Amino acid sequence: MKVEVDKEPYLVLINEFVKPGKGQAFNRIKLKNMINGRVIERTYKSGEKLDLADVEEAQMRFLYKETDGAVFMDEKSFDQVTIPNDVIGNNEPWLMEETIYQVVFYKGNVIELVPPTFMEMVVTETSPGVRGDTSGRVLKPATTETGAKIQIPIFVEEGEKIKVDTRTAEYVSRATS
Amino acid sequence: MSLELPRKRFERRSCFLKRARAFFEERGLTEIDCFAFRKKAPIDAYIDVIEAEVLPNIKAFLHTSPEYELKRLLALGVHDPYFLGHVFRKNDLGRYHHIEFLMAEWYRKDFILEEMIEETAQFISLFIPNTSLEILSYDEAFERFLGIDLSVISSEELKKKAILFGGSSDWDDKTIIHFLLSQKIEPHLGKKGLTALTHYPKDEAALAQTTFLNGKEVAMRFEIYKEGVELANGYQELSDAKELKNRFEKENQRRKKEGKEPYLLDETFLKTIDQLPSCSGVSVGLDRVWMLSEKASSLQQLLSPLLDDWHNPSFTKSL
Repeated sequence: MKVEVDKEPYLVLINEFVKPGKGQAFNRIKLKNMINGRVIERTYKSGEKLDLADVEEAQMRFLYKETDGAVFMDEKSFDQVTIPNDVIGNNEPWLMEETIYQVVFYKGNVIELVPPTFMEMVVTETSPGVRGDTSGRVLKPATTETGAKIQIPIFVEEGEKIKVDTRTAEYVSRATS
Repeated sequence: MSLELPRKRFERRSCFLKRARAFFEERGLTEIDCFAFRKKAPIDAYIDVIEAEVLPNIKAFLHTSPEYELKRLLALGVHDPYFLGHVFRKNDLGRYHHIEFLMAEWYRKDFILEEMIEETAQFISLFIPNTSLEILSYDEAFERFLGIDLSVISSEELKKKAILFGGSSDWDDKTIIHFLLSQKIEPHLGKKGLTALTHYPKDEAALAQTTFLNGKEVAMRFEIYKEGVELANGYQELSDAKELKNRFEKENQRRKKEGKEPYLLDETFLKTIDQLPSCSGVSVGLDRVWMLSEKASSLQQLLSPLLDDWHNPSFTKSL
């Protein structure tokens, strides 16, 4: 559930019913700010009403990059929107053509871009692997077709497609497709 | 716990009930199987009573506690009655609340407040062993855990505290004090053994007598806590019908202020209560005691598998 507190959108994480011995019932709520990610705790009298936040989510396809942002197209309505670079933030290495992203709007403005949890991409730059003499998991740096910089196992070569976890920027496995 | 056979849990519950009854039998108390349906509702600003149609166009209330019936019996001369059974409260659903729960309530003729606290602690110790007892007054608790002197604090300072801890400055003083008690004091009570919180503000006396402590009129009331969970609520009981009627009317006013319907006074109760002998009484939330003895962290972990739906998010989504 998304609610508005102090004119900002929050995601309700936990809603706990609390009632002291002989007294008023309260709801203690843990909320996450959908713009800056901060978690706060607020208590309300049971029965008090909170405004729902004007938050909407859309599935949008990445089209191309521009100087000040990236252009996406809504899968259903075909509307296009430019998401500014500051909202894209750390997700810039995960922008890839033919990929659908979750875009979160608050009062009509984009506040968050969520890439798919796992993405498959080609390794465009890495040093060749060295066989033998490895007693554990050894990693080497690599760059992917989207410009993402991640550590990959030494047996993965340039040109190979890999599966990546976008939450941690970690190698998961060789691509299955 | 989830890997355990449900059968074992029910067998332990059965032993639990036997031990509770044995405690009362050993002390020569009289068990009363109180009626759950009552014609009149108890009048409390913060307890909502479930109403049901029992006959065409005739409604009755489900008892929120056996207090009224047991007191009438005491007034009739029944010796130290007790009740061990279910009570019902509308809208109470949470980690430590369920709309229906097991309660033990008993009365002791000629017991003073301190004696009742002691006996309640003994009872709880049957199920949660090795528990020492600490006695702390309401005012002392506010002083110790919040550095607040309730007799001098201003509304402005209270509002500041409310905001500081995530509440609202729109609340009145009473709401803020309840909020501070439940958020900032209760979690600290009963950490080592049991903590009995005593001598509540006089406007929270409910059906308890009042007395003077440090020049201030306070309620002869106590609540016992373990691990921040309230387990028991007891009084040195009031038999003054006129004062009780006054209090019921005040509670109805509070109910109206909260947008709740007022309830009719129980005239039969008021007519007989003057004959109540001097006594103290207590009610213990046995589901919570059992929860702690089973080392569970919520009631829903323990309630019969059949009742899990009540606490299922999708079921209560509309609440």
